[in-house]
Amino acid sequence: MLEVEHLYRSYRGIPAIEDVSFQVAPGEVVGFLGPNGAGKSTTVKIITGMLRPNEGRVLFEGNDIEKDMVAFRAKFGYVPEEAHLYTYLSGLEYLQLVGRLRGLGEALIEAKATRLLKLLNLESWQYSPISTYSKGMRQRVLIAASLLHDPKLLIFDEPLSGLDVVSGRLFKDLLELLAAQGKAVLYISHVLEVVEQVCNRVIVIAKGRVLADARPADLTKLMSLPNLESVFSQLVQQQDTRRLAEQMVEVMQIGHS
Amino acid sequence: MHELIEKLIARLPLDFRVLYRQFLLRVIDLEALSIQGDVPAFIGQFAGVLIMLSLIHATVTYLGYTFITEPAERFAFLWHMQHYLIATMMLVVGMFAVLSWDATFPDKRDVMVLSPLPVAARTILIAKVSANAAVLGLAILTLNVASGVVMPLIMGAQPGPALGPFQSLPAWCFSIVAAGLFLYGSVLTVQGFTALLLPRRMFLRLSAVLQLAAFGLFLCVYFVQPSITTAAAMAAPENQWVLACSPSYWFWGMFNQLNGSLPPQFAWIALRAWMGLALAIAGAASSLLLCYLHTMKRTVEEPDLVPGGGLRWMPSFGSTLQTAVAHFSIRSLARSRQHRVAFAFYLAFVLGIALSLLRAEVAAAAPRPLSMDFLIPTFLMMFFAVVGLRNVFSLPVSLTANWVLRTAQIRPSQDYVAATRRSLQLLAVVPAWLISAALAFGFRSVSQVAAHLAVLALFGTILVELCLVGFYKVPFTCSYLPGKTNIQFAFWGFVVVLIVVLVPCAEFEMRALNQADRYGFMFSLLVGLAAGLFAYNDHQAKSAVIYFEEAPDELITTLGLSA
Repeated sequence: MLEVEHLYRSYRGIPAIEDVSFQVAPGEVVGFLGPNGAGKSTTVKIITGMLRPNEGRVLFEGNDIEKDMVAFRAKFGYVPEEAHLYTYLSGLEYLQLVGRLRGLGEALIEAKATRLLKLLNLESWQYSPISTYSKGMRQRVLIAASLLHDPKLLIFDEPLSGLDVVSGRLFKDLLELLAAQGKAVLYISHVLEVVEQVCNRVIVIAKGRVLADARPADLTKLMSLPNLESVFSQLVQQQDTRRLAEQMVEVMQIGHS
Repeated sequence: MHELIEKLIARLPLDFRVLYRQFLLRVIDLEALSIQGDVPAFIGQFAGVLIMLSLIHATVTYLGYTFITEPAERFAFLWHMQHYLIATMMLVVGMFAVLSWDATFPDKRDVMVLSPLPVAARTILIAKVSANAAVLGLAILTLNVASGVVMPLIMGAQPGPALGPFQSLPAWCFSIVAAGLFLYGSVLTVQGFTALLLPRRMFLRLSAVLQLAAFGLFLCVYFVQPSITTAAAMAAPENQWVLACSPSYWFWGMFNQLNGSLPPQFAWIALRAWMGLALAIAGAASSLLLCYLHTMKRTVEEPDLVPGGGLRWMPSFGSTLQTAVAHFSIRSLARSRQHRVAFAFYLAFVLGIALSLLRAEVAAAAPRPLSMDFLIPTFLMMFFAVVGLRNVFSLPVSLTANWVLRTAQIRPSQDYVAATRRSLQLLAVVPAWLISAALAFGFRSVSQVAAHLAVLALFGTILVELCLVGFYKVPFTCSYLPGKTNIQFAFWGFVVVLIVVLVPCAEFEMRALNQADRYGFMFSLLVGLAAGLFAYNDHQAKSAVIYFEEAPDELITTLGLSA
């Protein structure tokens, strides 16, 4: 369904991603992992059409999205990493805005928005401005907005950020059901435990390049490591966190010891 | 001198200096008028406009005093100018109070950021009051830099002040400052006690209504109150209520009392100024103190989330996209303080013109024949409404939230341009036209009025199309940086061109209203122009890309924290 082919994008000559390729099939939940600055956001921005690649292309259902971006936009839902919303709108008004922008009829918007808000436990706050919402509530509004138009492809960038335990479990169940419905899901997260549970496949990216693309179980088996977190640490060669923490404490104590 | 000031400033506590500087830039919603623009340059422009106004006032006062030789007429002129200068100064202070609404009181941001820090509430209070006083003082000083010298010097040469200009000058300065303090203090008193008496959430909602009400009140009083310039007119029974209710006359009385030129029978007017000043200062001081003692605590204690209510229904305005953009525009204007204030700046012109017309209409005993006095103001109202709204549309409301519009852009660009067109028509053309139609009731003949209203509607349509040329954006979503662009020059350039073109055009229309064939020609021409512009915009929009960012993607967004 979604095919990312040899993407290359640079900022002021500095490459952010190089030769990034992967696929997401219908009914598949694919985890997209990487440390900060690895190129995840750049890749997602290109897939969502907010950024154009210097090289490479993105195909959706076999068609280059650049050739008909309008048609592609109608088919995907997106939850961004940061819950940036028009905070003076209420939750319901925000969903109405998104629904209308997506060309849904008024009756359909009303029916879907109110039901989604109720299911996401936002019914009591649907008329309150989003500026008063907690981070988790904003995240739930974003999830509702991404589902409003029954998209074929869903891109979730850190969707569990700020969600409480119950909402987190709900979301994991939702992912499974979406996959069962034949939706393609690209799931970006740092919570590797959840990724390991819900994703059919994981793609690990670091320094702009894809380092691994396999099933979580295959990765742990291949690298003889106990879990995905160990695999991830091994792959991206993270710094010695203990040493970093010690240095931070040293800085904190300067002038106060 | 500079070093002395630096030394004096250095003696102030560091936390006060830091907060004062921070609050100084927040006194007026400069972001609303100059997002990421050069704030000192903007303040310079603001001061420049007031200085220019003061020079014009001084010149008019001096020329009037010189050329009017008949003593009674000259005295009436001076009384009129005194009152006009005081009223204008109060209007400027009033506008400042509207623009700096809520700036003196602690808001949630202050409470949440400053409460965990070792900063006393009194330091926050003093820093806020000092910042407001600094900007208010700058406004009063610049507005009186020339007229505030010329008027007292002239009055010092008149019978009355025992010490001549040495009495007139301090009397004028004191009266002007007192008038400003009275008005600003009154606003603070109303705000403060409303905040204290009402639950915080209700206050926040009412505060926006109060802000607009104050804005309307100041303009109404300035434009509608009659000018009373002779002792006989002041003594007339029908004018007593004006003198009793109008603060600008009270402070006119205060100046003349201090100057020794107030006839004794009008001492009661000056007494009102003294009483009003005392009440405003006491009210502002007590409400500020109480707010800082109680409101900060209440702000922390208030629940983070309370179920909301209010008006939930809004009509449809065409297609789903047109409705989405229209609702988004209405809600942004209504709920974003920055945008509300920026639009209010342009609406002030519309309201001022409308009130001037209303005043003339109320004064007229019978319906009047349609004249240029009606045609030109209605064109001006339409112009300020449309071009003002177009300028406000350029101010982004939340750039980071624009991703939703970008990822949900599933229709061609021309649909977006059409939706923006609909919003401009709905929020600018229709209200300006309705106000004009309401004011037209005092004019005859009905057929001429109807013919003019048809021309006005076409004028509005043409303005909307002109505003849409090259404007391939959704309202409030593009990072157009007015502080760094020529938007203000473009606006005032438009005004100059309009003033030059409007008078001959209105004259032509006036003649055309009396000749059917000429009117037909003019109307056809306007329809053709509107249709041509519509077709041009529609054609251009087909190949246009709706854009949300002025800056190229490669630029790294800075936090703007450097000095």
